Amino acid sequence: MKNAGMNIEDKGGDQLVLHVGPQHPGSGHFRIIVTVDGDYIVGAKPDPGYVHRGAEKMAEYRDYIQNIPHLERPVIIDATGVTLPYVLTAEKIIDVEAPERAQYIRMIMAELNRIISHLYWLGIYGIFLGHSTMFMWPMGDRELFIDLAESIGGTRVTFSYVVPGGVRNDMPTNFKERALKTFDYFERRIEEYKKIFFNNPIMTARTESVGILSPADAIKLGITGSNLRAVGIDSDTRKDEPYCLYDRVDFEIPTRKEGDSYARCIVRLEELQQSMNIMKQVLDLIEPGPIKQVIGGVMRGEPGEAFVRTEAARGTMFYHIVSDGEKNPYRVKISVPSFRNLIGMTHLLVGSKLADMPAIYWSLDYWPVEADR
Amino acid sequence: MVNDPTLNLLVGKVSDILDTTIEKNVREPVRFLVNWGRLYSLWPVHLETACCSIEFGAASGPRHDVERFGMLEAFGSLRQCDVLVVQGTVTRKMAPRMKWVYEQMPEPKWVIAMGACAISGGLYMDSYNVLQGVDKIVPVDVYIPGCPPRPETLIQGIIELQNKIRKSKV
Repeated sequence: MKNAGMNIEDKGGDQLVLHVGPQHPGSGHFRIIVTVDGDYIVGAKPDPGYVHRGAEKMAEYRDYIQNIPHLERPVIIDATGVTLPYVLTAEKIIDVEAPERAQYIRMIMAELNRIISHLYWLGIYGIFLGHSTMFMWPMGDRELFIDLAESIGGTRVTFSYVVPGGVRNDMPTNFKERALKTFDYFERRIEEYKKIFFNNPIMTARTESVGILSPADAIKLGITGSNLRAVGIDSDTRKDEPYCLYDRVDFEIPTRKEGDSYARCIVRLEELQQSMNIMKQVLDLIEPGPIKQVIGGVMRGEPGEAFVRTEAARGTMFYHIVSDGEKNPYRVKISVPSFRNLIGMTHLLVGSKLADMPAIYWSLDYWPVEADR
Repeated sequence: MVNDPTLNLLVGKVSDILDTTIEKNVREPVRFLVNWGRLYSLWPVHLETACCSIEFGAASGPRHDVERFGMLEAFGSLRQCDVLVVQGTVTRKMAPRMKWVYEQMPEPKWVIAMGACAISGGLYMDSYNVLQGVDKIVPVDVYIPGCPPRPETLIQGIIELQNKIRKSKV
């Protein structure tokens, strides 16, 4: 084995090339090669692909049901967020529609997963900024939402719960009381989070005016999700192109104008509250009924293609399935928000200080496994 | 002077030092003491290979808290680490890096294969870019099944590893 591609380059002069990752406390499954001139980053070259497992190719030799487990593995923090668009696209191909109760349960699972994912992000961001309490608190509160999701889906993180035609099983009968109790607790916790972390002078000093993204750049680079809302654009697929029954619930899209790392944090914090508001309304609206439309035999689509956009925890998740009438899809194309966040990160890192790199990197909520698929 | 083995207590392999310096009848207590010191201060390398890292992170959280059992936080230099927890799928691109990380760790070192993908490829058994089991490139001490394993399962795996260390020769 040679040096595994880890050559140290000398650019001459005062410039130095630094390799961050893949073994680094702050890099995850990903490497970024930054060129520094003194304290400033003058070039950033990302090197993704450490977790490329060929999910798109594997989807071509599995049938529509078998595809669900391996397509949720790229983002197991947000398992429903990544399988829901796939299932909605497959439903268009197979030509089935889920009953109303199933649609509502899907919304509950999607919002629970959004909270689970955002709390994981908050915990890791706390570690990145050297704030250990902010790792422990969200990680502990996340377990409560995992308990709620586990009572519906059956496992801790990988539910494989949403299937074409509905959902796998019904909610437990006492879910509403448990959920409202947890939301009541967590709403009080959010205020405490603000006190210890978001209004903390150390935290604001490290994130305010760091990594400012302009609205024009954000649109040009294709940034989606919370990062786009943090620059002042109120784009949310749940409002723009409602799927499931999101048009029946009332919620706000939190936005900020600054576009810096702090704005991205605050937008995600406010989204936690909005997700709970959506779930409260859904729990009032939901009525007993069938949860699944039973499909006889092997699922087989008509020849043709379909695509669906949904709002996952990290941004817009886009699925495009081409079918040739067989039981396996002919082609599955996944367009993930993390890959676009990676492009945004390269843009933001150039010109910033090396010490600001962790604050910028994880404020974008870049999840390498999702980007690599 | 330098070759005097009694002065070389901190240089060289522990087994050699034990053979040359310690009397036969106290070797067993010394072995116990050394292993006892090792098994409650396991430092894992922070090498995330795939999605099992989420449950690894959850295990460090307040509810499960692996530190109770002597597995410390995954932060710090790999030169000070003694456990490599392979957190999930190892792809063709990650495999040489992982082996490189393993080779840089000081002795004694142990490897935990966490998750079905690290054990045998798991869900990705027919993927073109996935290594089918990490034991092809590094020696594995404990296999933890699951996709992903629950934090409780990870804790059980760590306790199994500690049992192994407790019985091992120095």
